[in-house]
Amino acid sequence: MPLLSMRNINKSFSDVPANADVSLDVEAGEIRALLGENGAGKTTLMNILYGIYSCDSGSILWKGERARFDSPKKAIAAGIGMVHQHFMLVPTLSVSANVVLGLKPPGYPFTDRRKLDAAVLELSRRYGLEIDPAALVSDLSVGQRQRVEILKLLYRNASLLILDEPTAVLTPSEIDSFFEVLTRLKREGHAVILITHRISEVLSISDRITVLRGGAVAASVNTADIDAESLSRLMIGRTLKTLRRSVPPARSASVTLEVRGLHSSEHGVERLRGVDLSIFPGEIVGVAGVDGNGQKELAECLLGLRRASTGTITLNGERIESLRTAERRRRGIAYVSDDRHGDGLVLDMDLTENYFLAFHDDSRFLKGPFISRARCIRETDAAIKRFSIKTGGPRAIARLLSGGNQQKLVLAREFADEPVVLVAFQPTRGLDVGATEFVGERLLERRDSGCAVLLISTDLDELFSLSDRITVMSRGRLTSPIENDGSVDATRLGLLMAGDGGVPCAS
Amino acid sequence: MRFVRDVVSYCLIALIVVLVAALCVRAVGSDVSKAALGFFRGAFGSAYGISEVLVRATPLMLSALGVSIGFQTGFFNIGAEGQIYVGAAATTAVALAFPSLSPAAMIPLALGAGFVAGGVWALIPGFLKARFGLSEIINTIMFSYIAVNVVGILVRTVLKDPSYPLPMSSETPQSLSLPLLMETSRLHAGFPIALLSAFFVHALMRWTVPGFRMRSVGLNPRASRCVGISVYGNLLLAAFLGGGFAGLAGACEIAGVHHKLLEGISPGFGYTAIIVALLGRSRPAGIVVASLGIAALQIGSMSMQRSAGVPSSIAWIVMGLLVLLILARPRLVELIPAGTKEAFR
Repeated sequence: MPLLSMRNINKSFSDVPANADVSLDVEAGEIRALLGENGAGKTTLMNILYGIYSCDSGSILWKGERARFDSPKKAIAAGIGMVHQHFMLVPTLSVSANVVLGLKPPGYPFTDRRKLDAAVLELSRRYGLEIDPAALVSDLSVGQRQRVEILKLLYRNASLLILDEPTAVLTPSEIDSFFEVLTRLKREGHAVILITHRISEVLSISDRITVLRGGAVAASVNTADIDAESLSRLMIGRTLKTLRRSVPPARSASVTLEVRGLHSSEHGVERLRGVDLSIFPGEIVGVAGVDGNGQKELAECLLGLRRASTGTITLNGERIESLRTAERRRRGIAYVSDDRHGDGLVLDMDLTENYFLAFHDDSRFLKGPFISRARCIRETDAAIKRFSIKTGGPRAIARLLSGGNQQKLVLAREFADEPVVLVAFQPTRGLDVGATEFVGERLLERRDSGCAVLLISTDLDELFSLSDRITVMSRGRLTSPIENDGSVDATRLGLLMAGDGGVPCAS
Repeated sequence: MRFVRDVVSYCLIALIVVLVAALCVRAVGSDVSKAALGFFRGAFGSAYGISEVLVRATPLMLSALGVSIGFQTGFFNIGAEGQIYVGAAATTAVALAFPSLSPAAMIPLALGAGFVAGGVWALIPGFLKARFGLSEIINTIMFSYIAVNVVGILVRTVLKDPSYPLPMSSETPQSLSLPLLMETSRLHAGFPIALLSAFFVHALMRWTVPGFRMRSVGLNPRASRCVGISVYGNLLLAAFLGGGFAGLAGACEIAGVHHKLLEGISPGFGYTAIIVALLGRSRPAGIVVASLGIAALQIGSMSMQRSAGVPSSIAWIVMGLLVLLILARPRLVELIPAGTKEAFR
């Protein structure tokens, strides 16, 4: 008898099916991967199990009995726990306080902190989740916070753990130790459902794989019986194109973008501590590193969204560090970010207005004192065709586009004026495989037409396939770039990412 | 489907409002039909009644337009009342300082002074928000208190008419008076100015680049910065324009209705304007309609008080209820069908 058995689950959102006849069996002591692109219905299925959504039809058997949880609280009480992609921790509380949040800790209502800390420490040792129970969550690294999330579930005696894209936030070495934890969980008899779209990870850690595509089960197989290529075919319905960089252009003598000794701090904390960087025309410089080591700050300093306290930024021989964002954009700096909702688009405006955002001081789009709507619509329409954006038309509201199409709209807009420098901050984060491929192709296209591209990413595979040179950002500094000629490997970059001393480790 | 739902929900709202109003009238022991008759006679029963509605709608419309510019830019200007007072004071001061100007020079100059003064008054909280992130909701309202009381001081000191014991300014020169549009009424050229302003605000916000920038800052300041739109500059611009239209409302009250500066120059027009802007969903056309509606409600209720002895404060109860229902409507509309669907399963 399987631990969990979901039968013929159906769920639609305003008549669009998100899950169609999905069945899933999970045994105790197995790691089950739920593989699929964004929008394939993985998270919907898990949210149904976890009591966040109710299904339209279908049944759930938990430990052999019919169950329907109408809230996460009931799911947890029954022994099902979920770690969401965005952690749900209170940063100002200690690890053990977070673990017992919402429960009655020992000695309630007067928490016996020593006893509690001992219990949490004991639990963390048992599963190899070494962590200091008294540490504040705000002082922990992302990887350590993930451990706290898992401890929360174990403390509540969860026998099934659902992990939503758990490796997206981890460094290569953190991923290794995370996999050890998973193996340990399995040995202790827990079942794990791993929601992911990374094929390589699925192959290395899972026992069985369920592939979802378009809301339906494309296949359920034993990991031992399948390879990467068939998995990707099942997942996206075709094989992936391999992106290929053309031969590196002869590096011309003149640097396009040159950064020297850039420092920037926020609330007294130094975010950038002397960044040096030069990008030549027609090359992509990749910046690897764990999120939060100053990458966003670097991008913002280049765009003029953030002031650098010292240091120079030179664009084609001209100092630009004291120019405003509008001036820098006029000189040809474009920006694509992972945060389409925050940085990229005004979601409540239509596509035309979002396209016009980049041309708000361009007199070509004016007719007398007024904005030429006809011209805006014409250009937007052309952009929609050029980037094959799936939409109801130029008057559709940007909010209604899928993530991939939103990013295409941003690319179309930012590329419209042939930028000299492109700052791409994790441009494929949260996109499905097809859209990721599209973005990669467009970046290479820019590179080939002579643009200097700065690609900041946490995805090493992406950096390896796109960059001409790779550098690593760690604690506000960049290492000197390495030629990406096939001789670099993930281990070497991983060591650099850990940087001088690595992330502080509490225990 | 959507359209039907909208119509049904608005009819429901109207029904609820009428029912509550009738209940209130009954509660004070008056005759509902007599009260209703008094209400409609007062607001729409005569040319004079209608002209009074338009006179009342003028300052509401102008200041609500100002408030709506702020709303669209993410500047929540709650202090239109103070900006009205400052505008009125500036207009009076300019008119009294240059009494010999011809109307063709006087009216644009004095109304312009009212606009600028109102704008500058709003610019201070605007600057405090743009530069230091201080809440404009608190600051604009605090600046209202300051403005109202500064006007109180002015009409007792520098602007006081020495020949009268009451705290008010001397009569403004004849050249400031806005032409009347109708014999034996108070309807003045401020009303067409308000309509023109509505058209101007629509054109500005929808058709020009500055309006586009302000809207984009209001909807997503971060994305606006990323494409080089200055959040700082556009907040200041919106604060100035918003305060300016409220100031113009005050200026038109002086030049069209009162012809002198008084302490109670605005019976809360600036606060009612927020309601008007909300009801009109910050769209100029909506604001025109909403200001006429609210003005009719107020004028009608005053007549109801005279003819049926029903306190006009019922109008405020109705207004509060109306705003509440209209703001809650989108949620209520969502809830009803979803709830029924679940119930039938």
